[in-house]
Amino acid sequence: MVAVSESREGFEPRITAFVCNWCTYTGADLAGTSRLQMAPNVRIIRLPCTGRIDPLFIVKAFERGADGVIVSGCHPADCHYSEGNYHARRRFALFRELIEFLGVDPRRVTFSWVSASEGAKWRDVVDATAETVRDLGPFDAYRQPAGRTACAS
Amino acid sequence: MRELRELAKKLLEEGTVSVVIGWEEGPRGVRPAFVTSPEDAEQLVFNSRSVHNLATYLNPRRPQVRRLGKPAVVVKACDAASVAALIRETQLKREDVVLIGVRCGGVVGRPDGPAELTPETVARRCMDCEKREPALCDHLVGEAQPAPPRGEGLGARLGALEAMPLSERWAFWAGELARCVRCHACREVCPLCFCERCVADKTVPQWIESSPHLRGNLAWQMTRALHQAGRCVGCGECERACPAGIPLALINRKLQQAVAERYNFKVSDDPGVPAPVGAFRLDDPQEFIR
Amino acid sequence: MSGERFLSTERGERLVADLTLSGVRVYAPVEAQGRTEYGLIKDLREAALGGPLPGMSLKSLFFPPTEPLFRWRQSGSEVALEAVPTTFEPMVILGVRPCDAASLAVLDGVMGWDYKDELWFGRRQAATILTIACPGFDDACFCSAVGLGPDASKGSDLLLVPVEGGYHVEIVSDKGAALVKAHPACFSDPRGRESAEAFRQQARRRVGSNLEIDPHRVRAWLAGHFEDRFFDGLGLRCHGCGACASVCPTCHCFDIVDEPEGLLAGTRRRHWDTCQTGKFTVHASGHNPRADQNPRFRQRVMHKFWIYPAKFGDVLCTGCGRCTRACPAGQNLLEILGQLDRQPQQIPEGMTS
Repeated sequence: MVAVSESREGFEPRITAFVCNWCTYTGADLAGTSRLQMAPNVRIIRLPCTGRIDPLFIVKAFERGADGVIVSGCHPADCHYSEGNYHARRRFALFRELIEFLGVDPRRVTFSWVSASEGAKWRDVVDATAETVRDLGPFDAYRQPAGRTACAS
Repeated sequence: MRELRELAKKLLEEGTVSVVIGWEEGPRGVRPAFVTSPEDAEQLVFNSRSVHNLATYLNPRRPQVRRLGKPAVVVKACDAASVAALIRETQLKREDVVLIGVRCGGVVGRPDGPAELTPETVARRCMDCEKREPALCDHLVGEAQPAPPRGEGLGARLGALEAMPLSERWAFWAGELARCVRCHACREVCPLCFCERCVADKTVPQWIESSPHLRGNLAWQMTRALHQAGRCVGCGECERACPAGIPLALINRKLQQAVAERYNFKVSDDPGVPAPVGAFRLDDPQEFIR
Repeated sequence: MSGERFLSTERGERLVADLTLSGVRVYAPVEAQGRTEYGLIKDLREAALGGPLPGMSLKSLFFPPTEPLFRWRQSGSEVALEAVPTTFEPMVILGVRPCDAASLAVLDGVMGWDYKDELWFGRRQAATILTIACPGFDDACFCSAVGLGPDASKGSDLLLVPVEGGYHVEIVSDKGAALVKAHPACFSDPRGRESAEAFRQQARRRVGSNLEIDPHRVRAWLAGHFEDRFFDGLGLRCHGCGACASVCPTCHCFDIVDEPEGLLAGTRRRHWDTCQTGKFTVHASGHNPRADQNPRFRQRVMHKFWIYPAKFGDVLCTGCGRCTRACPAGQNLLEILGQLDRQPQQIPEGMTS
């Protein structure tokens, strides 16, 4: 594993979070109304269910400038659509294995189950992710590669 | 070979099938053949250069093949697993194809290369293969074959890559995938890439950049690997077809391994065995989820 | 303009060193991880000159798989376009095969046709092509069948023929003459003319035995037989995978895409495309005039051996054989051309090729 690097002076990671409407989004809202202080680096994108999250969303977030991604939804057995998170669980497990195999640090993607009543847990996930990704540094290796091609010149 | 030719001839004469899809000796090595008249059954061969996965010609995205009528297809055990997957995923009805199983002791890496099966020439995917004949078939021809020569197969190569530190592995894959020119040969030769409209071709919205720069190539290859997870049978045709020589089969194999470890699924030529993706268990491992 | 010289192996090393020192990029066939491809070198010894035909053709250096066309940036209602450079740093490509060199001259036709492609010609202008005559690579070569040959100089600036101790050099173009003039220490008086001639004859015999056709006869037949049943079934084993088009030195179709970077800026790019894919001819209505692989494969043959030569005079093929080697399904262009050449000629009244 790559050693955790010194964070660049003043670097604040940009983190995109894909969260399900019924659990994590509501839990994040609870964190807000409870005035819990948390790292400000996260932008939330609300989806009906983690089962809707295509791994391409995560890839796209990295392409567009995210240094880290959070994917969060309902605990198993609590999915609003009964099974969405079970499908998501398999999908994300394989996605994680794949990116690690290709050489992307899997710590850049955090997966969590956060329920509607777990405002504090959401805060913990956000803070922990911000800290981890701050240490990992900007994900330039992913953003730059538009310049690398098969062409020798 | 005699057995195969006579069977093919009989199937055509009796009108059981309209075409037998097998292999023939072409001007530069063995290649797929489409035999529609009984006299031409003499052209059919099966030998160590019968590398191609002929199940790909059953892929519904080939109207020019479907138009020929009901086919018989000659299949090795690995190829039969592709046919099983097509049936499992309702792209093919079992009764719409006649399967001629063939006993196989391994094939070489290139259908236009040396025919002798040695540890150096044998296809990597054959090196740890245990199946000498398909279970999924209507007929079974050929003599019993010994196991293929052993060597440094895909499993070993995978292990070597996984032992590398993360940054080295990234450098390796970035180097390989930068050469991808997005010809999509990997997709076109695959029996299980049968979507009428591939997500990579979608432009409204466009999730996968079509440009062959590294960023676009990563999006494509990750998608291809994930869409094949739990479905890929490991025939290696994607890698063989790649004009840039990228070791694509390694990526597929990695996910095959992940699926086997996590969900106890092994590639099977039994269409009744359900696919692991699209399915789930209540107690699936979730050690990576906070 | 014309003339002969000799380039010894040592002087060749000196030439590469001198060029590199003066900031010129030097490319040559390079072997890496079991593959031979055209790549950047700093020293002649890095080059695999007597080795296999590079897997990918030379076109990547002139028409890259992807390249930016311009960038845009929007502020308010103003849009600013940022052009990409169309002049390039000089480069010398050493050890080019005659089939690859010829492809550059062949493509000049379409690249300069209704629109002068500045990116193509910018790179063409910047490049000096040092071709090394080929002994004939293998049984898939057919350069001589399409009007070229293993020692053809079309598209080259200098033609080098391997002889003892180095290369017999033939100056083909002004650019080649200029290179020789700029490096007088490297090029000496001509030597080995007879040996070079013998090499060339032997190579021509070798390649000639692979395929002999009359491209004009093939073209005339194609012009009159668009609907011929010959093409039924050519698409059967073809996967439509496009591997042939990507390795081909003369295939040049491309798509243009816009890649936004945020909401206010982005890059317009072009990238390789191929008529072999299903969606190449899909209309906005959903109708596809080439609905399966049979007409798509026919298109490949028609374009290369009738339509392009009718427009530009050159067959859109230099006989390098890569398509035949790369095809995962065993399609064989030599076989197909041979069959076409032997078709009975019945050109309908009034039809011209």
